[in-house]
Amino acid sequence: MIPGRLTKELARICGRDHVIVDRDRLLVYESDALTAYRHRPGAVVLPRTTEEVRRTVQAVVRHGLPIVPRGAGTGLSGGAVALNGAVVIGTARMNRILAIDAPNRRAVLQPGVINAELSAAAAVHGLYYAPDPSSQTACTIGGNVAENSGGPHCLKYGVTSRYVTGLTVVLADGSVVKVGGHGREAPGYDLVGLFVGSEGCFGIATEIEVGLLPVPEGVRTLLGIFDRIEDSGRAVSDIISAGLLPAAMEIIDGPTIRAVEDSVFAAGYPTDAEAALVIEFDGLEAGLDHEAERATRFCFRAGAREVRSARDEEERLALWKGRKKAFGAMGRIAPDLLVQDATVPRTTLPAILKGISEIGNRYNLIVANVFHAGDGNLHPNILFDRRDLDELERVEHASKEIMQLCVDAGGTITGEHGVGLDKKHHMPLIYGPDELDTMWGIRRVFDPGAVMNPGKVLPEETEPSPANPRREPAPGELVGAPAPA
Amino acid sequence: MSAAADSLAHAVKEQEEGLLNCVHCGFCLPACPTYRRLGDEADSPRGRLHLMRAVVEGRLDPGAEAFQTHIGRCLGCRACEPVCPSGVEYGNLLELARHVGGEARRPSLVTRLLLRVFGTEWLARPAMFAGRAARATGIPALVTRLLAGSAPPRGPRLGLAMLAASGPMRGLHAAPAGSGSPRPGARVRATVGLLTGCVQAGLFSRVNQATARVLEANGYQVVPVEAQGCCGALHAHAGDLEAARAMARRNVEAFEAAGVDYLAMNASGCGAAMAEYGSLLSHDPAMRDRAAAIAGRVRDVSELLAACGPVRGSAVRMKVTWDAPCHLVHAQRVSGPPQAVLDAVPELDVLPLAGATECCGGAGIYGLTHPHLGGWIGGDKVRSVLESGADILVTGNPGCMMQIGAGLRLAGSEVPVLHLVELLDESYRRAGFYAGGTDHGNGSRP
Repeated sequence: MIPGRLTKELARICGRDHVIVDRDRLLVYESDALTAYRHRPGAVVLPRTTEEVRRTVQAVVRHGLPIVPRGAGTGLSGGAVALNGAVVIGTARMNRILAIDAPNRRAVLQPGVINAELSAAAAVHGLYYAPDPSSQTACTIGGNVAENSGGPHCLKYGVTSRYVTGLTVVLADGSVVKVGGHGREAPGYDLVGLFVGSEGCFGIATEIEVGLLPVPEGVRTLLGIFDRIEDSGRAVSDIISAGLLPAAMEIIDGPTIRAVEDSVFAAGYPTDAEAALVIEFDGLEAGLDHEAERATRFCFRAGAREVRSARDEEERLALWKGRKKAFGAMGRIAPDLLVQDATVPRTTLPAILKGISEIGNRYNLIVANVFHAGDGNLHPNILFDRRDLDELERVEHASKEIMQLCVDAGGTITGEHGVGLDKKHHMPLIYGPDELDTMWGIRRVFDPGAVMNPGKVLPEETEPSPANPRREPAPGELVGAPAPA
Repeated sequence: MSAAADSLAHAVKEQEEGLLNCVHCGFCLPACPTYRRLGDEADSPRGRLHLMRAVVEGRLDPGAEAFQTHIGRCLGCRACEPVCPSGVEYGNLLELARHVGGEARRPSLVTRLLLRVFGTEWLARPAMFAGRAARATGIPALVTRLLAGSAPPRGPRLGLAMLAASGPMRGLHAAPAGSGSPRPGARVRATVGLLTGCVQAGLFSRVNQATARVLEANGYQVVPVEAQGCCGALHAHAGDLEAARAMARRNVEAFEAAGVDYLAMNASGCGAAMAEYGSLLSHDPAMRDRAAAIAGRVRDVSELLAACGPVRGSAVRMKVTWDAPCHLVHAQRVSGPPQAVLDAVPELDVLPLAGATECCGGAGIYGLTHPHLGGWIGGDKVRSVLESGADILVTGNPGCMMQIGAGLRLAGSEVPVLHLVELLDESYRRAGFYAGGTDHGNGSRP
């Protein structure tokens, strides 16, 4: 619970209906889409303008409480979970597209705009927004900026950071800062680049300028069917090595295929297959057929039993729907899931997939894989029922082993879901003390009082401080502020 | 755990798979009309399911303000169901949650009174008679016109406007109503029993008659079904499951006795409810299979028509737009057939409607229980109808007809609202299909 005085103040800023302090109502904000972590916030505030965000931040910070920004709560790393009774600032009501500047191919929007709705609005100009996370029908651009989200087509088009050209940001001290903007390269330090992917630890973006792309002239979508998942991994590696550049390459494994085919998003994947590989080429019409033919040959050479080609837009969308809704469809197999996000060198895919399957077998767990194969970005979903405590423990062990397996293969702990709460303790697996110190240093420049999304991304015990003197703090260097109550 | 929570826990135990299927992915959020407007996740399907699960887990009392408010604020439009990758049966769970919520805390007087009237024949008949009599005086229409544009449509003003909007479109029934007997040479395709309903029979008998005529013109034999009654949808949505089950039993017996191939529905709310009689009566071993069998024969009138073409009539040169009732498009997943019916009307200009599959805010008695939010959602629908440029709005459910019709009238618009079958009926009438026949009673023929 937050103090009554603060409640009144927030109600004056945002309106009584948009300040939630009732403990029962706050229950629905206790987790994001990764339900393994649950913490009830102290309050939820739903502002509508930059000014309301600014005054909210000031009021909350004045009362010594931490702040957690939240978009649609579709994140998969616990990033929007409020620890220690933090106040959630939700962007659901900041959902207006402020401008679409078609000739200059850019748009300015509030953070609560849904990713797919930006593309829908841009479609009348023949434009679209390229990063397409699988949750794009629900997730918001603000959340995408915080997580530097990717998506299937990032293989060719790159992730969010490549498209954000300007930001209006409310910082922890209540100042409003405009960085970048007008689509041009800003002189000086690349603060936009620094902010994108900061997982709510640097501030809250309240206006976002993004670049749009013209809708490609042509597209070819293939579906390779494999009896062994390793073979599909080999096909991916071969296609990339040969110099082809598909817009997307996605692998959906057997358990996932069966869950999806059972759902309203059935895509026609054969349910007896052990892997389906979706490959898409887009761009100018000329040459597309040739590329698709070459990719088809690589699939057969790697052991595909069949390669289909989407005949029309309807078939193409169905193929994609199955892939994009796969995460939600896992609920058909088990009530809970833990999804990982490790990224490995593509050439190691066949071995890693085999290793993951072995770990699953050893702990007697179902592991369903659906992932951005072209990027080597794995999404093993460990399925379980949190009411089964023994299973819960096995999940933890298996999860750790899978992570270690990927790191040992030269991979990293997250490709696109962010570190958040879930993976912060894995950060020392890939970064040494000097790198972590540098990150802490940058974080404290933006947030000296440790009020913006504390407890996320970096493990607390690695923060340099007098109590934790891994190295001598330089004179005048910022040290960690006391943990908020 | 309180008795009510225990009851939900018990009820949900059977639906457990359904509730646990929710992995919290959040894909339902943008589909929810209340979340879109309020921005509070407690007013989203995922949030409501989370509250239900909290009750089951004993973390939340079903009498608590949060549970009552947010479960109560749901329109029950079920737009979340088709977008759910895990296939959570939200509609069923909502009814259970309302049932439990109602046990923990009595529903409002307005709610109880209305449900009582609809569910009790000797109350419903005089109420509907009074409604028709009032409508015939022209006073509701006059008052509505005088009040147009003065304030958002809600409260008694909305009630009067809804009554006014339930009337027929001027000029449409100028020609004498004739018989819809199969045209010479046409064979009987199947027998159907028409659910005459409570509101339809009371205020929309013309729609029932048109339904029977267009079905017969397409080769269906419409068989009278005695002893049928209200489908119980409103009661189930409000959580009064016992009353809903009693009505379901009665209808199962009535339609079994009629021995029809299909049950024809011209109110999608009723159609959705009757299509789920099997699960509603799943606890009743004597009725379970019979209910499921009857439910399996429920068809929206547009489905029956689309299954045979339908036969094309004469040109109707009008600009119309189609609003898909939630319980047709989301609950029953029927989206193609209404289009097929519109296509069977030559020279009809069908304009696109922005947000055609979003709830109009009618949602049973929502306009009365949640006047502010219902008015907000209804106002958005009215705006998009006006922006469509259509001269006529066509839909497929009496509740939506009254809600949108009332909203349009209160916004000072002259755009009338028609049921889909009324439009086809007009096309057939112009084609001379009914010439020389006899008129129908309430959707059935002696």
